[in-house]
Amino acid sequence: MFVLAVARRYLFSNPSQTALLIAGVALGVTAFVFITALIAGLATRLTDDVTANSAHVSLETPTRLARVLRGPDADVESVVLVSTFQRRQIRAWSSTLELLRSQASVAAISPQISGSAFLVKGEAVAPVAVTALDPSGLDAISPISTEIVDGEANLGADGILIGARLAENLGLSAGQPVLFRTDRGVDRLLTVRGVFETGLQSLDERVAYLSIQTARPLFRLPEGVTNIEIKLVDPYQARDVALFLHEATGLRAISWQEKNASLEGALTAQARTGVLIQVFSLISVLIGIASALSLSANRRRGEIGIMRAFGVSRRFIAGVFVLQGLLIGMVGAGLGCLSGYGLCIWLATLTNADGSAALPIAPAEGGYVAVFALTTLGAVLASVLPARAAARLDPLEAIQQ
Amino acid sequence: MSAVLDAREIGMRFRNGDEFTEVLKGVDLTLQPGELAALLGASGSGKSTLLSIVGLLLRPTAGTITIAGDRVDTLSDAERALFRNHRLGFIFQFHHLLPDFTATENVAFPAAAPAGGITAAMRQRARELLARVGLADRLDFPATRLSGGQKQRVAIARALMNKPDLVLADEPTGSLDRVSAEQVLDLMREVNREDGATFLICTHDEQVAARCTRRISLSEGRVESVMNLGDTDRDK
Repeated sequence: MFVLAVARRYLFSNPSQTALLIAGVALGVTAFVFITALIAGLATRLTDDVTANSAHVSLETPTRLARVLRGPDADVESVVLVSTFQRRQIRAWSSTLELLRSQASVAAISPQISGSAFLVKGEAVAPVAVTALDPSGLDAISPISTEIVDGEANLGADGILIGARLAENLGLSAGQPVLFRTDRGVDRLLTVRGVFETGLQSLDERVAYLSIQTARPLFRLPEGVTNIEIKLVDPYQARDVALFLHEATGLRAISWQEKNASLEGALTAQARTGVLIQVFSLISVLIGIASALSLSANRRRGEIGIMRAFGVSRRFIAGVFVLQGLLIGMVGAGLGCLSGYGLCIWLATLTNADGSAALPIAPAEGGYVAVFALTTLGAVLASVLPARAAARLDPLEAIQQ
Repeated sequence: MSAVLDAREIGMRFRNGDEFTEVLKGVDLTLQPGELAALLGASGSGKSTLLSIVGLLLRPTAGTITIAGDRVDTLSDAERALFRNHRLGFIFQFHHLLPDFTATENVAFPAAAPAGGITAAMRQRARELLARVGLADRLDFPATRLSGGQKQRVAIARALMNKPDLVLADEPTGSLDRVSAEQVLDLMREVNREDGATFLICTHDEQVAARCTRRISLSEGRVESVMNLGDTDRDK
């Protein structure tokens, strides 16, 4: 292909200028890869932090709302009141568990009884959010057993696990008894089997774990459960899974994103900021290519003029410049992807004093295919203007200059 | 034998704001095969404009042009480009060789660009032409390493690559020293005599015109005189 040979010859005619141009493209692509990998890593870390100790999807009984029924003429006919004669609970939780176990997207299931209670020790009283679960599935949602700092992760009969801040506030430690008073007005003396420390104040100060069997009489719930917590293989499928489960069970299914709307807003804003930075780095790359090719076209006016005089087609002339853009874009993007990946790999090895990663970067998620395709396509588009200008040169005018 | 060039009543007006400048006023020009014609005239006489019109680089505002039997003034831009490529050769004052290509590649370029590459046959012809212009030892030299005279000789070979009906030369010795200019003129005469190529040379140099078989003088946009020179005259 002669036009490609001419384009290559033009590029190699000034190796230092071409090398600088390609380096500029590669630098822009490296910045793009770095930003993309950093934003992906940040999103993953934030998501992991949020979902590490909580469910990806929660199933609860449907919300009961008082509402007004309107007649055909829009006049108020009747008011539906919320019934409070029965406890809200999931009675058919066994069949729901069967459904969940059949789903490949589900990684772990934890049927629970959740409620409110007070821990009383002497004159000290502390409110707690109670999570009662099957002791064999203690770590299904939150890896509590790995965070035990005192005692052991053994709920047993009449056992309770409490957070470190709560233990500190009440002066409790493993092995000590504590009075447990539920919001149903039932009191029982339980034994602190273990104290955990997750690092999350909301958990360490306000949450207590019981076995579900211990909780049933305390919360007067002999059969059902109040909620079923679910971990997924892919947390980002939570919305879809929640929708499916809602339609399949009629229960209220809440994804972790719905529970953490502010986090999702922050992630979206962060992603948008990243897109802006990516767009600007790409634009600067493309302006560089366009200006370099424009200069080249201007410098070669005489040659282009003579080619046109010889009857070389406008398409051929335009092709020479478009192919230069394509080659610069492809080589620059390829080198940029490589250097970006190398930079991300190196940054991922940097750690803080405590051994944690200094930057939450995800080298595998640098958007390599996208940036390669965008840069190459953009480089071709950036070369169109200089190519058109070169192809439209009046041969007579160009030769006489 | 039909004329290689038959231009009739060629007129050219340029617009400059609200005013029009008439550069050519009904010029007739005919060249027979194998002629070596000089187009003479003072600066502003219209000779370069006439050469550009005959070379299909400029459209006249009046008149008809027939080259080797084909009417060409009515062709579209794309057709004119194709015609220039296949049927015309150009030599300019400034050679405008492609600096990133060798002498052989420069000569082959007018054939290679539309064909999509330099074939063995093209390369062979380019080499023969370079040998013909005395550059057999410079075949693979980059254009940038050739002297001014050598570059202009490469330009002559390039103009002959596609075996044109008519070679148009605009001040071909204008940028050369006296010795190089003599060599280039000798070469064009030699190609004209031995290969039968038809040349129309635009010049203001009387010494160049004296080497041609015919001299056509332009003045103020009209043909002032046409003088046929015998071989004896031009061999002086």
